[in-house]
Amino acid sequence: MSRQKTLGSDILGRLTPWLVPVAIIAGWQAAASTGLVSTRFMPAPSDVIAAGWQASRTGELWSNLWISFLRAAVGFLIGGSIGFALGLANGLSQLSEKLTDTTLQMVRNIPHLSLIPLVILWFGIDEEAKLFLVAIGVFFPIYANTLHGIRSVDPQLVEMGRVYGMSPTTLFLRVVLPGALPSIFVGLRYALGIMWLTLIVAETISASSGLGYMAMQAREFMLVDVVVLAIVIYALLGKIADTLTRLLERSFLAWNPAYRNI
Amino acid sequence: MTTSTLLRAPDAALAPPREVPVASQARQTVRPAPATGTGVAVTLRGLAKSFDGHQVIEGLDLHIPAGQFVAIVGRSGCGKSTLLRLILGLDQPSAGRIDLENQGARSATRRIMFQEPRLLPWARVVDNVAVGLGGAGRRQERRERAAAVLAEVGLTDKASNWPATLSGGQRQRVALARALVSRPGLLALDEPLGALDALTRIDMQDMIERIWRNQGFTAILVTHDVAEAAAMADRILVVEEGRVALDLTVDVPRPRRRGDPELARLEGRILDHLLKDRAPA
Repeated sequence: MSRQKTLGSDILGRLTPWLVPVAIIAGWQAAASTGLVSTRFMPAPSDVIAAGWQASRTGELWSNLWISFLRAAVGFLIGGSIGFALGLANGLSQLSEKLTDTTLQMVRNIPHLSLIPLVILWFGIDEEAKLFLVAIGVFFPIYANTLHGIRSVDPQLVEMGRVYGMSPTTLFLRVVLPGALPSIFVGLRYALGIMWLTLIVAETISASSGLGYMAMQAREFMLVDVVVLAIVIYALLGKIADTLTRLLERSFLAWNPAYRNI
Repeated sequence: MTTSTLLRAPDAALAPPREVPVASQARQTVRPAPATGTGVAVTLRGLAKSFDGHQVIEGLDLHIPAGQFVAIVGRSGCGKSTLLRLILGLDQPSAGRIDLENQGARSATRRIMFQEPRLLPWARVVDNVAVGLGGAGRRQERRERAAAVLAEVGLTDKASNWPATLSGGQRQRVALARALVSRPGLLALDEPLGALDALTRIDMQDMIERIWRNQGFTAILVTHDVAEAAAMADRILVVEEGRVALDLTVDVPRPRRRGDPELARLEGRILDHLLKDRAPA
């Protein structure tokens, strides 16, 4: 009996986070169907699903989704790896930090989206422009959190590693990097959010393909259901990125009681 | 579950090679199963250390025979931790020299057990112990050696746990295992039991004493607790203002009974000395 009870509460526990989204969609459908909200401004969920079905049948949705994903991934890899490398360098070497940290902190305070006009002048509306913006956007959260993570590694553990004869490489791999990992994951989460944000804005302003372009084109033809479809897809993509990060955290931070039960 | 129920007879492979006991000849009547010449003898000559012009250790001469268990007591800031760091080679002396000799000893390795366990939270217990081996050996061999020492401290069943799941006493036992896994010739203990509750502390004292008697390393214990020093050590050094103010031999046979009147007398003497310049209440 107790097993049934735990099974029941387990299912309930899994469903709880979805109660609010389902309620919102149900209310939205009801409001649209009863004519409370004009479908010219807000299409019913069923219309959005139909638009999604239509777009995926023609392949338009998939090709746009794929191109956006590629841009996001490549931009993220470029910006993220530079940020990670500089974060490590500045966390480990005082010389490197003195040399670059002040500059980076200055540049960090420029909203990277304000560079859009400049970027269009430099790169036109080609792929480089989007990759550049995404790379700049993800660079700073990864950089700042990697640096912070390395700084906050317990000095007592570092001393222990030295006293126990660890080489600098071993010390880094066994003490410093694992100690910085929780903070690096925080940076990763922020960076993923900024990655989508930047890409969508860039695609909305200047692109000839991609999800943002699909939404903007739909707006010109007053296809409000496609606009909403694009927004729903952003939400789903965000959720997928978040779930992936959690999975990574759960396997890499299993030692940490704070992450054990996510 | 007490620690003693988990303790086993030392593994044959772990028993130190039998050699002529060097350090214990004089005390054969005191200890039936004495140290076996695997410890490092430490000699300090005119040792001095100052930080920013402030003299912490002044012209210290001291000889610690191989295999001796020495306790260093003193008030906070008397220089006892600095002395320990100098002997371990973690700091360089401003003047004087430190000689270590290990006649026929297994290893000149010096290890320290800190006040905090300082375990890597992201490494399982057995891997934390293997940290003490340095880079030596293959993975499998390292794990086997680590597991053997874990058995000695009674934590075999915790080998694959994360440190976060252990109690404070268990963590400190893992730290002890990590310090011992490389079979050091000298073990420095920097107030390792200070943060434990009274009963866990007594268990740990007994465990450290038992392992020391089996392995015969030289042990240097820094502590605030005069009773702990008296219960564990062969010799107690009272350090004051960077000098050895009192050097006492503890001639009480082992295993020692807690509350032994002779130990109590000794404790009283040390405390009187430490508190002598206190204003009368």
